[in-house]
Amino acid sequence: MKKVLSFALGALMTLAMVGCGGNSSSNSSSASDSKYITDKGTLIVGITDYAPMDFKDDNGNWTGFDAEFAEAVGKKMGVKVEFVEINWDNKFLELNSKSIDCIWNGMTITTEVTENTSCSKAYVKNEQVVVMKSDKLADYTDAESMKGLKFSAESGSAGEAAANDAGFNVTAVTAQSDALMEVASGSADACVIDGTMAKAMTGEGTSYADLAVGITLTSEEYGVGFRKGSDMAEKLNGYIDELKNDGTLQDLAEKYELTLAD
Amino acid sequence: MEKFISVTLDLAKGFGTTLEIFALTLLFAFPLGLLISFGSMSKFKPLRWLVKTFVWIIRGTPLMLQLIIIYYGPGLIFEWDLLPRFTAVMVAFVINYSCYFSEIYRGGIESISRGQYEAGQVLGMTKPQIFFKVILLQVVKKIVPPMSNEIITLVKDTSLARIIAVYEIIWNAQSYIKLEGLIWPLFYTGAFYLLFSGILTLLFGFIEKKMNYFRG
Repeated sequence: MKKVLSFALGALMTLAMVGCGGNSSSNSSSASDSKYITDKGTLIVGITDYAPMDFKDDNGNWTGFDAEFAEAVGKKMGVKVEFVEINWDNKFLELNSKSIDCIWNGMTITTEVTENTSCSKAYVKNEQVVVMKSDKLADYTDAESMKGLKFSAESGSAGEAAANDAGFNVTAVTAQSDALMEVASGSADACVIDGTMAKAMTGEGTSYADLAVGITLTSEEYGVGFRKGSDMAEKLNGYIDELKNDGTLQDLAEKYELTLAD
Repeated sequence: MEKFISVTLDLAKGFGTTLEIFALTLLFAFPLGLLISFGSMSKFKPLRWLVKTFVWIIRGTPLMLQLIIIYYGPGLIFEWDLLPRFTAVMVAFVINYSCYFSEIYRGGIESISRGQYEAGQVLGMTKPQIFFKVILLQVVKKIVPPMSNEIITLVKDTSLARIIAVYEIIWNAQSYIKLEGLIWPLFYTGAFYLLFSGILTLLFGFIEKKMNYFRG
């Protein structure tokens, strides 16, 4: 399988090189990515509807931690920021075909991400937590005691990986919100999802009032992905430091109940 | 109740995109399909083989893959500027459906007996005259049932547009699951599809009836 894949990729890359030689109505890959972005005057940010990182306010404008963060960086770069809602499965295709300039949407820095993008340093920390019915919470205080439970988690997510590593019996579902619904409906005893999402969507005043956040399995960090070899990741690291020092990021973190990375 | 109305409006907006894809695909694929069917029946062998190979490739690969290649391909392979998302959807759908339609046209055209052509010749009609005045209407009658089948499939295939982030009705419904844990909007989309394909079914029934006087 791997051989076939690498052959196919090789063929594609050969084609790509042939393509580069002949024509290039956009820039060639040797020019710097940040220049490409400042020249066209817009930074196109690939996102999904994912509270509290990116979501629409009542007027239909994008807001959230990442949206406000990106706007602040856009101001510093002197470019307009444009948000495009993408199909998350195609995020690397979107990036490499230049239909977006970066993936900036609470993306966990994994080896998959670092292999496919030039990733910025971490700006927010997140945890994979166990969510279950609040009345059962007291009985399960460590991973060992949960081995007999039925878990659900998003297929391919960091939560699923954490649950598998802990030796849980996991059913994969298509989205983190589905995992929550599995627990609410009683089809699963517990689920493993993002800590930020778990805090925002469970407890009093939410649609999942009878669910609560339990123990933390693993912690992870969010980064912004740019095209492989782009100089933008380095640039953004500089902006992250500036925005941290002037307190902008801390204010945003408090507003959206997140934890900044160290 | 308020939620129901706001979801209905939101889904209706998505269904607007669905209908746009549907209508534009038909508008372009009907004539293009006829053109391709002529190519696949051409007496000039290289052209016939070229067209047949093309039809084989388009019919032999998933529409979803074609969407991805048409939208991302130019940027990934040649570093060209990309087509707008909606345009890419239209290109993929029109090409795909033209190929299916061309086979339906071919079946219809080849089923008309030689006698009809000969009758036209006896009356001194030219080749284009014979095709448009004698053959075409009989073909139309014969292809209504298979065409309606394909057209109703098209209504539902439009949901593939969300693969390249064109926001049609299923995309809108799925965002309720992601954001609010509301699953009923997704099931509710079925009502929109059913209603529309119901209207189409009635329409095709009406057309078939209208064509009854033509006993080919």
